[in-house]
Amino acid sequence: MKQLKLAYDTMLAKHGMGAALFVAIAVTLWVVVFITLPQLSMLDYSFRFNLPADQIGTEADHYTLDQYRSFFFNNDGSVNTLDLMILLRTIVAAVIVTLIDVLICYPIAYILAHGAKGVAARLMVIGLIIPYWINEILRAFAFRVLFGATGVVNTVGMQIGLWDVPVDFIRADVALYFGLSYAYILLMIFPMYNAIEALDHTQVEAARDMGAPLWRVHWRVVLPIAKPGIVSGATMVFMLTAGALAAPQILGGPSSLWFTQVIYQWFNESSNWPRGSAYAVVLLFTCISFVLLTMRVFKVSVGEIGK
Amino acid sequence: MNRNTLFGGAYAVAFFSFLFGPLVIMVITAFNSSKFPRVVPWECFTTGWFGELFGNQRLMDGLLNSVIIGAGVVALAVPIGLAGALALSELPSKLRATLYTVLILPILIPGVVLGISTIVLWGQISRGFGAGGLYNGYFLTIVGQITFISAYAMLVFIARLQRFDATQTEAALDLGATPGQAFRKILLPFMAPAIGSAAFITLLASFENYNTTVFTVLSESTFTTALASKVRHGTDPSLSALAVIIITITLVGALTNEAYQRRKEAEMGGRASRSPLYANPVTRALTHPGVVFAILVGIIAVVSFAGSRHDSSMCEAAVLQEKLDRQEELRAAQKARIEAEQKQQSTLPKSNSAFGGAFGGLGGATPAPESAEPAAPKPESPSAFGGAFGGITAPKLEE
Amino acid sequence: MPDTSRPDQTPDRSVLLDHVSIRFGNFTAVDNANLKINSGEFFSFLGPSGCGKTTLLRCISGFSEPTEGKVLIGGKDMAGVGPNKRPTALIFQHLALFPLMSVADNIAFPLEVRGVSKKERRKRADELLEMIALPGIGDKKVSELSGGQKQRVAIARALAVEPDILLLDEPLSALDLKLRQHMRTELRAIQKQVGVTFIYITHDQGEALTMSDRVAVMSKGVIEQVGEPDRIYNRPRSAFVASFVGENNALQGVIKVQSGETAALDTPMGTFEARVGGGRKYKAGDKALLFVRPEQLVPGAGDNAFEATLTRQEFEGATNHVFAKAGDSELRVSMVNAGLAGSLPAAGETLSLGFAPMNATILPVADMASDT
Ligand SMILES: Nc1ncnc2c1ncn2[C@@H]1O[C@H](COP(=O)(O)OP(=O)(O)O)[C@@H](O)[C@H]1O
Ligand SMILES: [Mg+2]
Repeated sequence: MKQLKLAYDTMLAKHGMGAALFVAIAVTLWVVVFITLPQLSMLDYSFRFNLPADQIGTEADHYTLDQYRSFFFNNDGSVNTLDLMILLRTIVAAVIVTLIDVLICYPIAYILAHGAKGVAARLMVIGLIIPYWINEILRAFAFRVLFGATGVVNTVGMQIGLWDVPVDFIRADVALYFGLSYAYILLMIFPMYNAIEALDHTQVEAARDMGAPLWRVHWRVVLPIAKPGIVSGATMVFMLTAGALAAPQILGGPSSLWFTQVIYQWFNESSNWPRGSAYAVVLLFTCISFVLLTMRVFKVSVGEIGK
Repeated sequence: MNRNTLFGGAYAVAFFSFLFGPLVIMVITAFNSSKFPRVVPWECFTTGWFGELFGNQRLMDGLLNSVIIGAGVVALAVPIGLAGALALSELPSKLRATLYTVLILPILIPGVVLGISTIVLWGQISRGFGAGGLYNGYFLTIVGQITFISAYAMLVFIARLQRFDATQTEAALDLGATPGQAFRKILLPFMAPAIGSAAFITLLASFENYNTTVFTVLSESTFTTALASKVRHGTDPSLSALAVIIITITLVGALTNEAYQRRKEAEMGGRASRSPLYANPVTRALTHPGVVFAILVGIIAVVSFAGSRHDSSMCEAAVLQEKLDRQEELRAAQKARIEAEQKQQSTLPKSNSAFGGAFGGLGGATPAPESAEPAAPKPESPSAFGGAFGGITAPKLEE
Repeated sequence: MPDTSRPDQTPDRSVLLDHVSIRFGNFTAVDNANLKINSGEFFSFLGPSGCGKTTLLRCISGFSEPTEGKVLIGGKDMAGVGPNKRPTALIFQHLALFPLMSVADNIAFPLEVRGVSKKERRKRADELLEMIALPGIGDKKVSELSGGQKQRVAIARALAVEPDILLLDEPLSALDLKLRQHMRTELRAIQKQVGVTFIYITHDQGEALTMSDRVAVMSKGVIEQVGEPDRIYNRPRSAFVASFVGENNALQGVIKVQSGETAALDTPMGTFEARVGGGRKYKAGDKALLFVRPEQLVPGAGDNAFEATLTRQEFEGATNHVFAKAGDSELRVSMVNAGLAGSLPAAGETLSLGFAPMNATILPVADMASDT
């Protein structure tokens, strides 16, 4: 509190009353009203019963663990493997997508930082950004066009005789994996690029000069520098993938639900807000714990993210 | 080293093919008259899908809503992001790390969770305080979106602030400016380009957002949510047409920006006077970003006008006729085959269902494109098999 | 402060540092600075980097308050007066010109924030550009100026405030040697012309000695000595000043006897008589240092004579830098180039050297400037 007051006073002395008040009010509003209160409110809601409007505030309206219980257990007391499996599958799939992105983005980030120069580098940056300007829905749609029964992949595959019946890539979740990997590539490349760019290129040359093979140069010289960028990018990709809704809705096969879709169903189809809130809390809690754990393992702090 | 460069180049080409391939394919499908977006078989070149797109009332309503919401989000998220960046620059390092984590968190929290928490909170508030007016899709979407979009704006401002030389403010104060004057006359003008890009990024983010908006928008719909529900309930190439429009706008923006950057660089580096492009008044004018932009817009206008006059109905009618003929042929062939089978069946009492057999045979024999044509003129088809075939195969492959 | 109705008699442009200390936590950046800078003076703070010069200057200009003591400008206590309210203007080390404004807008900025009309501002900016001998560049961008031009624009901008005190923080350090020397003369001329008190910070003793009316030498936050340049050079009061300002030879020894202004010092090279620096009193047996400058070591016998062996020399046109070994110390001797009429000694030769007792200073043993 004292430090906040101090910061406010510095601001006041440096930028004046107007700016200091503006900053103080805007940041407070953001932190309290937009970030904290909604989460608390959702948490509160997740401990309530799903009551009709006229019963809210009456005796029936008290705290309960019901919503969480029904995530873990079915009515008959058996373990709710259905929802648990969906959550697990979502997390595992998000991890796989994240790993795919790390693998395919690392070379590009490295080339961008240390290989490409001038026009080539600028073209690459533009090339990375343009697909990202196109609506998320349309990007998913593009993969549906690509992987549809009569899509280019099937047509080409059948034309050159790889298979002779249209393969259902959607049902097999291939389209989904492609779409998700594609969706957040930019968020992986830029933190990686920023980290790798800090590396003095002569170090790479020196290592090469000493006769180290390329993979060893990367393993010993580039990767340690790139690590914070990789973790930062991976965190974002993981969180966004695990929390994705549009891509699974558009590209997901009929049999495999993403956990966000379950939440969506509780809210929009069953109108059971407390249940939906509880599931949202579960998702948030799982994702954040997973990320924090990973960061602990890789010894990187949250402050690295977004840099 | 040379081999590595080659490998790097090849990888980059492959990577960018992955990035642009789907977009290119999508763009091509926008001009194919086939009712399902695809490249082959090519039916007719058409610009009809653009008309179809603009005729979609739900999308156009959503567009208006998106503009309203986007304006609100920009108006709030940009100042909030700026405030966040300024606050971070003044805090002692420990507190700064904490605040940074808190402010950046909304980017990481799943959008679904943000959307839910927003409607839950404001639902409770409007019930508790009887402020029902707040509980509407526009307000909730703006509030829900700025929670995390402000953080995008903040990142832009942080990057810019890092390059600010704090002695500039001190110099202004020393020269007699009040802190407020120094803020307005020195810091804000320095931040101006970042305010521009932050506004752009927040607008784009607001426009694009689905995960949060799909909850907060309640019974309204934005462009993106309308788009999503359209994609989920069957697709047609008017979405590809939309992609063409967005990509075109993006490219125009990128090219104009490139012209601007180059000119700025040339001016900064003092190359302006030396470059032949700048020596000649004609080329100098032609490479001005404004002119580049105008030329591009002009080209697009001409192409759109030409496109709007293109009439593909003759070609489409021909293709339709051809299809009907093919179908007729097929039907005749099937009939003949089935009759033959039935004859056979009567001799073999315990056999599989006729339908199963026929269907299996069909699946292999029928050209794939036909199978994914839910909108093909099936209704007139007298054959039970034709109907069953359309009903079973199409949804399975499509959805 | 563009107070045009200012009375004709010159205002009080003095600065008084009244026992000023500035601390950052436990670290003392400025330790008990206590001195008066006179109205209209060109005053320099000279010291190695990190000795607290900038810290002190920022305190005078109002960016920080002293932890202890008071700053008085024109006789008025400045406690609680912000930088924009003080009659000072600061030229920053990197100038801090506003890159987004034209040259004229930069110079007129102080007038702009005081609400002076646009026309008036432009007129004043043009006058100031005239004064710094850069007429007609008002519409240029800052980025189009050369280093020396930027320098002068920064001065013009600071003068637009019509300050009583102009504070300059190593303003020449970014310029190349030639320009630096030229700007010294220029700065001095401008100061004479406007009559404003200049407080100049530098780690370059050449700058400080050539331009200033008085110099304060600082080391580790402590002001070691204040005085006219020649006094600083000829009568250093501490080992640090003696070694930091100009070249100097230091001989370690033990006091034999002090008699008033002079004392005899036993050194491994013999016993020498020299002036006692800073009016100090020594007892026999006290350890002390004797400083004698290379140009004060003259050939031939006389006072304080000794012999040394020439080890090497560096020819530099007008002077010849000779290094000679005596006892276990190597001494620097500057010899005037006598041209073809004279003759230069050769390596290995034995030199007879001596120095006048008044031209050497005995000072207490203490830290010396490390770059000597
Ligand atoms: N804001 C500060 N906080 C802590 N230490 C500081 C601060 N400003 C300066 N110092 C320290 O005070 C000393 C003097 O710095 P400064 O006045 O900049 O030296 P210089 O003589 O080179 O201008 C340095 O050791 C520096 O590290
Ligand atoms: Mg300094």
